[in-house]
Amino acid sequence: MSVRPDTYVAFLSADDALALATRRRRRERAGQAVVAAGTTVVLGALLVIPLFLIVSLLPWKPLPVGGWERLGVLLAGSLKAAVCALLVAVPLGIATAVFNAHFCAPRLRGWIKPSLEILEAIPTVVLGLIAVATLAPWLKMNIATLLALLVIVPALLLGAGMIFGHRLRRHQGWLPIGLLPIVLAVVAMVVVVASQRSEVSIVPASPWNSVLIGLALGLASVPLVFSIAEDALMRIPAAHTQAALALGATRWQALTSIVLPAAASGLVAAIVLGASRCIGETMIVLMASGNTPLMGLDPLTGLRTISAELALGLPEAEPSSDVYRMLLLATLALFALTFVFNLLAERVRASLRRTSTPGTYAA
Amino acid sequence: MRHGSAGDAGTWLVGGAASICLAAMLMVLVVLLGAGLSPFWPASLVELQLRDGRSVIGERVAASDDTLILRTSEREHVGGAYVRIADRDVAAQAQPADAFVIALADGRRLFGRGDASAAAAMAYEVSSTAIVEETLWPNAIGTPARIAVFFRHLGRFLGSSSAASASVGGALPALVGTVTLVLLMSLIVMPFGVATAVYLHERSDGAARLVRSAIANLAGVPSIVYGVLGLGLFVHGFGAGIDRALYADRLPVPTFGSGGLLWAALTLALLTLPVVVVSVEEGLARIPASLRAGSLALGATRGETMWRLLLPAARPALLTGLILAIARAAGAVAPLMLVGVVKLAPALPIDGEFPYLHPSRQFMHLGFAVYDAALASPDAMRGISRAFACALLLVGVVIALNLTAIVLRHRLRERYRALES
Repeated sequence: MSVRPDTYVAFLSADDALALATRRRRRERAGQAVVAAGTTVVLGALLVIPLFLIVSLLPWKPLPVGGWERLGVLLAGSLKAAVCALLVAVPLGIATAVFNAHFCAPRLRGWIKPSLEILEAIPTVVLGLIAVATLAPWLKMNIATLLALLVIVPALLLGAGMIFGHRLRRHQGWLPIGLLPIVLAVVAMVVVVASQRSEVSIVPASPWNSVLIGLALGLASVPLVFSIAEDALMRIPAAHTQAALALGATRWQALTSIVLPAAASGLVAAIVLGASRCIGETMIVLMASGNTPLMGLDPLTGLRTISAELALGLPEAEPSSDVYRMLLLATLALFALTFVFNLLAERVRASLRRTSTPGTYAA
Repeated sequence: MRHGSAGDAGTWLVGGAASICLAAMLMVLVVLLGAGLSPFWPASLVELQLRDGRSVIGERVAASDDTLILRTSEREHVGGAYVRIADRDVAAQAQPADAFVIALADGRRLFGRGDASAAAAMAYEVSSTAIVEETLWPNAIGTPARIAVFFRHLGRFLGSSSAASASVGGALPALVGTVTLVLLMSLIVMPFGVATAVYLHERSDGAARLVRSAIANLAGVPSIVYGVLGLGLFVHGFGAGIDRALYADRLPVPTFGSGGLLWAALTLALLTLPVVVVSVEEGLARIPASLRAGSLALGATRGETMWRLLLPAARPALLTGLILAIARAAGAVAPLMLVGVVKLAPALPIDGEFPYLHPSRQFMHLGFAVYDAALASPDAMRGISRAFACALLLVGVVIALNLTAIVLRHRLRERYRALES
């Protein structure tokens, strides 16, 4: 019979047991050393990004003439793209999160979240392709149609809710499914009606403009904003809502007076993290922004972001040349900006976690 | 109006926002499926009689209100024979049954009318050396035959490695490049990710908090920043150093000193590290504490408990972390543009020659193929179709991986429920 010595200690002689104990202790230490070494490498790798950027910019030499101006234009481009995207992502993401957390039928909830996870899994290069090949040619002719949709769809939803809302209140957990064909039909109708008109009322300066970036990058950021906002809303104990309902509030009143104020910091964190993600996103802006370094607030012109400049400029730049150094400085600015945003969001979320864990309210 | 109708309107607004999100996701998938699969469908050929007496034969590639664009026989080079025809110039339009299309191996297409011998004569007349890949009479065949042709084209796209140029030929080199890259990245990221997760699970002191917050912040760093790090530190730093030390005789031609598979894999490993750590640590935390306590009480050391009990029990979490990391890496294109992806690699990074895997070689990647075909193709019409086909393949791979992760996560939960009872 073969006995594994480290399993049946009782069968061993004293010497063997001692030897075994020594071996086990050594193995234990080796294991701990491996884990510690692995973690050290990881920590080192994590700290290396800012260190590398700073060290390679030293000793400091002034940028060539126009370097700071160029950096400013790129930074403005990144911020403009992020603001345009947030104008799309924040309303959609937070409203979807509110619906999912507060109104949704439990069975539907199991479908909305995975659908948005699939949207998040789609590589941004693919969304960039759709933006530049499918959306841009349509948007070039139909800026006015888009504006019309922005007014018509919400107005229609609000009006329909006013008129039919109280009758269908029992089924409101299934609203997205019920409204899906209606929304699609309204959009299709407006688009078809608009395509009958021959003259174009608003002509953008470039087919690759900030509106296009806002739509594509915004769609890419919806899942992130959604998941963080939903996480924050789900942390509010259900007892709060139930107490409000028991006191005679409607679900909407419970939402606006109890849940939203309690989850406000989590919603802010969702917006901040969304902004951080939009600032750093590369492929969509690289493909669909036209990459024209323009400054200004006009949403119908192109733009050029830091990330696109890096993707286009760095492969050609000679190491230690002036251009290379300027690009490294741009990277450092991008890193610092997203780092501050992430830190801010993490702080806000941590404070929410401390104050809103179920049970702290129990007393 | 009853009390609370404003609230109902608000509810409908947020419900509408949710359905807009669903609609947008569906539209993305529909556009992708439609535009990604249509290049493989054998389109009908049209013959137009123009008012000036000429007739042109070809396939429609685009149409607007008053003009249409036709691809006619490409006698000189790929993409060299698009004609734009105004609708008012067309006298008659027909789809003759004997119209044929010849696909040459270099990507050119020839259109004509007649039987097989006419087609062969036309191919020979245009170029006596060109290899005919396929001759089709699409107007004469029915839907079942077209479906067969569709799958043949699809199979050729997926399986053909003949990359004469980046705009024609199969997607196999890009697929192989993508897969090799993410496999190499997994080999690098898994040991470090698991070691860090174990460390975070076992310790809760200041050092662990530091590591944890570093990882949380790293998850939010833009991917292009990793690319800059990969280029500046790995390629220009380590790579140039290796070249000076080991390949000095080949300089100034760089071996490791230019972008390549190894540096790209290292960059992506850094990028996906947070995903692996978070997922594995979550898996370890889900294992009931009683299991660990029981093992320790029976005299096992912490290391033995971890190695023999906890890590095997968390195997599905390890797999989930790996799959999510692969899915994230397969979709990350921006950093690769800085560390060695090329539109056309002379050789695959993996082949039958010793040492089989060539870490210093440049490689092709599906995501970069999408970008390159969409924006830098000399033939814009074909470029967009090809970009959509590659995009569909990429999304298929990524979504399949994500669905596997979701199923594994479900299994994992079932498993711990069994442990707890």
